[in-house]
Amino acid sequence: MTLLSDIISASANLHSNHLPSDEYDRRIRDLVEYFRRLQTTKALDSFANDESCLNPLLGATLVKGAMLRLDPSCAVFTSSHLLLVRLCLQAKAYSCALPVLNKQICHFPISQGRPSSDPSVLCADHSSGVSFMTEASGVSAKLSYRDYLQYFLYGGMVYMALKEWRNALHFLGIVISTPGASSVSLIMVEAYKKWVLVGLLENGRLCPPPSITTPHVVKVYQSLARPYIILAHAFERGDLKRLNAEVDAAKGVWCADNNLGLVSQVVGAFFSQTVIKLGKTFAALTMADLSKQVFPSPVCAEVTGSAVSSLIMSSALNATLVETKDHAEASMLRFSSIHSLPQLSRELDLQSQLKQEMKLMGTLVINLGETNNNLGLSDEYVDSVHKGQVWSGSSEVNPIVGGEAGLEMDEDLMGDMS
Amino acid sequence: MELPPLTMEQLSQLVTSNAPPSQLFEALSRYELQACLISTGGNSSNTGSGDSTLLSLFYSSFFLVHLLTDQVSEARALTKRIPEALLQHDPSLQNCLTLLRAVWQTQHGQVYQVLRGLPWPDILQPLVRRYESFFQDKTLIAVSRSYEAIRLATAATHLGLDEQLAKQEDANIISNFTKCGWTWDPESKLLHPKPIVVSPAEPQSSNGIRKAMEILGTRAG
Repeated sequence: MTLLSDIISASANLHSNHLPSDEYDRRIRDLVEYFRRLQTTKALDSFANDESCLNPLLGATLVKGAMLRLDPSCAVFTSSHLLLVRLCLQAKAYSCALPVLNKQICHFPISQGRPSSDPSVLCADHSSGVSFMTEASGVSAKLSYRDYLQYFLYGGMVYMALKEWRNALHFLGIVISTPGASSVSLIMVEAYKKWVLVGLLENGRLCPPPSITTPHVVKVYQSLARPYIILAHAFERGDLKRLNAEVDAAKGVWCADNNLGLVSQVVGAFFSQTVIKLGKTFAALTMADLSKQVFPSPVCAEVTGSAVSSLIMSSALNATLVETKDHAEASMLRFSSIHSLPQLSRELDLQSQLKQEMKLMGTLVINLGETNNNLGLSDEYVDSVHKGQVWSGSSEVNPIVGGEAGLEMDEDLMGDMS
Repeated sequence: MELPPLTMEQLSQLVTSNAPPSQLFEALSRYELQACLISTGGNSSNTGSGDSTLLSLFYSSFFLVHLLTDQVSEARALTKRIPEALLQHDPSLQNCLTLLRAVWQTQHGQVYQVLRGLPWPDILQPLVRRYESFFQDKTLIAVSRSYEAIRLATAATHLGLDEQLAKQEDANIISNFTKCGWTWDPESKLLHPKPIVVSPAEPQSSNGIRKAMEILGTRAG
């Protein structure tokens, strides 16, 4: 019935007499576009209601296609965001979520009772998704605080699977710093545990939560994620034996939290992080000295050399290797080297980063403008402006009243004269 | 545009084409759903070994194209999406797993061994050769940036060249490096690499910083 009424209301726009041909064409095109959007909306609605009927990979591909077709910017957070990320995790098709995950979310669907929330305008030419992706449009199911947290936690997990630790930290940071009305949710605690491990993998240290996280929430995290904090301290001290002992001692915890894979990666990253830290103290080290510094038991210099070479070649370590004619032990690892990368290459990298940041800023500026516009049209803002006018009106009326009083005085004066 | 059905002919045409890796990846990604549906129907009695061969070739090609587009993590994820029974029993997919292990552990010598020594189906040969060339180029760039001085034998191992000839200081092996601008010191018997700079594919905008500042200025106002 809803679909039928949608079609009738949309086609009603066409039945105007004596339309010029180009206007008629435009309306036909609008109508087709409207049906495409409508079809996508209804399909997303059906998927959201019955996930079980979908093969996860099939579902993820269809939902991603529908979302990008409906709103290429994906800037409005909808229940489809969560559905897509969950399906991608189930299907283990991580990169399928990236076209949506890599886009900035700047809005929630706007609430009902606003002129732009009328579903009949779905066929109009929209400059952005905010204007038609409203609560009333049916594009998204009702969203809760939990959906928002889950989306960023799952998004972080997708990035972890792809070893994009920096992006994973960003997503997890959003979850753990979300202000809560009451206590800390279980999703946030889970995100904090992953935050500790991903912080070790990316930065080699226990990262403090984002500065906007309230201190009492941080205390709750630290008490609930005690084994993770102890593990992080062992990692930071560079004590491999203690790190292994902590990993073994809390094996049950890692398994119960489904973090065993991340913990094993943390142990694997111990070598690289220790070598990176040595670079802050030494300018250069021979392979024999490096082996002594890093490994508690004697290790062949060739093994160390091969591991260091892999680190440098994968760009995990900014250093260079200087081999000698005969002995592997005498090969040198140079941390600060003018040879490592030519200036031009660094500048190209920097330029590429700047370009990305600029694109991101451009998106944010556009969305800030839209948010500003929406806030300006919101009931709350109109009410407050109205109240403000009444208030300022009353304060400005006083002089007028004063003027009138003055007139009255004049009248009185006149009266006296009379 | 409607996608033609996934058949051996279609797959063979794609794999042997000289299309850029990103285009190949895009095309094969679109076929993954069909492969997924074929494998789901694989439990029924009306599917035979033809489907297994098609699926094996599809997943092996898709895996190699992942590596060719430098998506190692995603290639690993693909191996988790391949039907378990097929993965365990298909020799071509087993080769893919061995290759993945070698790439994941950055065992360069092992990578060349797998690519050159293991039996790959004829239809996959063009992709295998393309990946070998890609891997060699990528490693050459990495070695040039990672070493200030390197023994000829070490360089040969990284690039899949003959180690025995390298130990004998073969002129052909040395020329492979010197033609890239590296220098060979016969006294120290060491190569001195010249870092290779790869220019980005897109032309860089010269006024990028100015544009960024303009945006910031607009918001600051």
